[in-house]
Amino acid sequence: MLTIKLAFRNLFRNTRRTVLTAMLISLSLAALISVDGVMRGMLTLLVDNVTGTIGGDAQIHRVGYRENLDVDLFMENAAEIERTLQRDTSLKSYSPRVISGAMISSSYNVAAGLLYGIDAERERSTSKVAQAVLRGEYLAGGDNELLIGHSLAELLEVDLGDRIVLTLSEATTGELAQALFRISGILNFGMRELDDNFVFINISAARKTLAMTDQQTHEFVLTFLNLEDAENPEHGIFQQFNNTETEALSWLDLNKEISFIIEIMAYSSLMIGAVLFLLASLGVINSIFMSIYERIYEFGVIKAIGTRPSEIVRLILWEALLLALISCVIGMLLGFAVGSWTATNGLGGLGEVEFSGITLGNNILGEFHISQFTTFPFFTVLLTLAAALYPARFAAKIVPSEALQRSL
Amino acid sequence: MTAVISTFEVCRYFGDDQETMVKAVDRVSIEIERGEFTAIVGPSGSGKTTLLHLLGGLDNPTSGSVELSGTNIADMSGATLSDFRRDHIGFIFQSYNLIPVFSAEENIEYIMLLQGVDASERKRRVADMLQQIGLEGLGNRRPNKLSGGQQQRVAIARAMVSHPQIILADEPTANLDSKNGIALLDLMKELNQQSKMTFVFSTHDEKIMSRASRLIHMHDGEIELDELR
Repeated sequence: MLTIKLAFRNLFRNTRRTVLTAMLISLSLAALISVDGVMRGMLTLLVDNVTGTIGGDAQIHRVGYRENLDVDLFMENAAEIERTLQRDTSLKSYSPRVISGAMISSSYNVAAGLLYGIDAERERSTSKVAQAVLRGEYLAGGDNELLIGHSLAELLEVDLGDRIVLTLSEATTGELAQALFRISGILNFGMRELDDNFVFINISAARKTLAMTDQQTHEFVLTFLNLEDAENPEHGIFQQFNNTETEALSWLDLNKEISFIIEIMAYSSLMIGAVLFLLASLGVINSIFMSIYERIYEFGVIKAIGTRPSEIVRLILWEALLLALISCVIGMLLGFAVGSWTATNGLGGLGEVEFSGITLGNNILGEFHISQFTTFPFFTVLLTLAAALYPARFAAKIVPSEALQRSL
Repeated sequence: MTAVISTFEVCRYFGDDQETMVKAVDRVSIEIERGEFTAIVGPSGSGKTTLLHLLGGLDNPTSGSVELSGTNIADMSGATLSDFRRDHIGFIFQSYNLIPVFSAEENIEYIMLLQGVDASERKRRVADMLQQIGLEGLGNRRPNKLSGGQQQRVAIARAMVSHPQIILADEPTANLDSKNGIALLDLMKELNQQSKMTFVFSTHDEKIMSRASRLIHMHDGEIELDELR
C-alpha cells in the first residue's frame, strides 16, 4: 500500500509533465476510439449498402447459375424451398426472384441490362427497391409496370409513362421473346451498377415473359435477424441448401471484393492504433526516464537502505499503471465525447464517397462498440506498462555508491 | 568483544591505468566492536566516504574482504545484498536523505515495509522512534516542512527502526550549522549509549569528532592513525 502511495505521489511531483504525458496517452486513446467509431460507421454503411440494397444477407441459387447467369438454370421447387425458409426462425425475410439478361429498348435508344422479376410486397423487407423510387410509383402488381435506374433512363431518353421493350430469351425454350412495359418509377440506388443496368418488373410478369411456371425461380434472397448468422457457414440454411442441386452463399461470398475491403478496414484500425501507441509509448519512455534522472540520488538512497531492484521495478511499473489508468479514464471520456458527436452529427461535409461502385452518402455516423472501452484501454495500459519496463530496468540497475555521488 | 564489522586489506581503486589509477581506499584493515561510536576522519578526498560505502556494501572492493558478523558482504550482489543491507545496516547520508513525497512517519515506516513487518508493529515502532528523536507531533510533516536538523533526526530514526547491527553515517552534519550538528551528534551518542547500537560516521569537523569514542584518521586512502578516546 505504501508503494502504491509512493507511486501515486511520485506521479504528481512534476504535475506539468504528468499532465502532458497523460494527455499524450489519453489523446491517442481518444483518437483511436473516434477513428474506430468512424470506421465501424463506414463499415456498417458499406455492409448495409451491399446487403440492404439488393443483394440481401444471403442468396440461394441453382448450382452453376451465378457463373454465367444462365436463364435456364432455375430452381424448380420454389414452394418447397419457401416452406423450408418459412420454418427457419433466424430469418427476417426472404423473397423469390426471376432474373434475366435483356435488351432494353426505348423509342430513342437501346441498352443491354439486367431484368429482375420481383415479388413487390416481399421485396419491401428484403431490399431497398421501394425506397430507391426517385419519381413515380413502386410496383403495384400490374403486368406492364417497370422500374428503371435513373442513369439508364437518361441513356434511353425515357421518363415516367414512356414505353420500354424488353427483348430476352425464354428460359425453357431459348426462343426470343419481347414484352412491352411502361415506366412506373425511376430509381436511384446510389450504386452505379444498379442505376446503369437494372430494370425491375413484377415476378409474375417476368415469369410470363420468360415462359416460366410459378414454381420456377432463379434466386431466393434472404435477410437474417442477426447478420452474424449470415456469416456463419455452419448455419442451418447453408448446411441445408449447399448440395448438388442448390447453393446458398453469404453476402461475404457474393461480394469477395467488399469482404476484402472490410478486412483491410479492420487492419487499418489496427495500424492506426499501432502508430498512435508507438508514438505515445516513446513519449511515456521519455517521460519516465526524465523522472528517473531527476530522482537518481533518491533511488541511490532507497537502494542503499535495502530496496531490492525488483521493488524499484515494481515502483516504476506502479507509477506507469496509475498514469495509464488516469489517461484511460480521460481518453475514454474524450473518446466518448467525440464518438457521441460523430454518432449524432456524422462526418458531414466530406461529400459523397464512392467505395467500390457504392456511394456512401455524405454523412458517415460514428458507432460505439464495447471493445472501444474495454480492449482499447486494456491495450493502452498494457503498452504503457511495456513502455515503462525499459526505464524501470534502468532504475533497478542504479548503483547506490554512484548515484549518491551525483550532485543535486 | 567480537567485531561487528571488519575489513581485511580492503582496497578500492578507480581506473585501470596504473598511472592514472586513484587508490581511494588502500589496504585498509579495521575491526569495529559492538556498541562503538566511531568516527572516520580526514580531509576531503581521504577516502572516508568510499570506506563507508565499502563497509555498507554500497560498493564492491577491488580486493580484500568486508565482513559483517562473519559474513563477507564483498561477495554479495543483487537482491541478496539489498536484503542484507535492509536487515543489518542502517544508513544516514549528508542530506536529501528522505523520500520527499513521504511524511516523516512514512519515511521511518518504509524500511519496515520492505522487511515485511506488520502494520500495527510498524505504527508502534514509528511512534516510539519519533519520541526517541524528539519529533512527536511532527510525524505527518513532509521533509520540506522540517528543518535540516529535524530531517536528519528522521533519517536517524529510519536507520535505527529496523534494528540493524551497525549504523553508517556519511558526514551526517555536513549541511547543518554547528549548533544543530552538535545536537544531532549528541542525539546519536545518546541513542548509541541507550541501545548499544554501533555507529560509524565520517566527518572532518573537529567539534563533531570530539564526540566519538574512537577516531580512525585517513589520508590518501590509508589509515594514518587509529585512536581510542
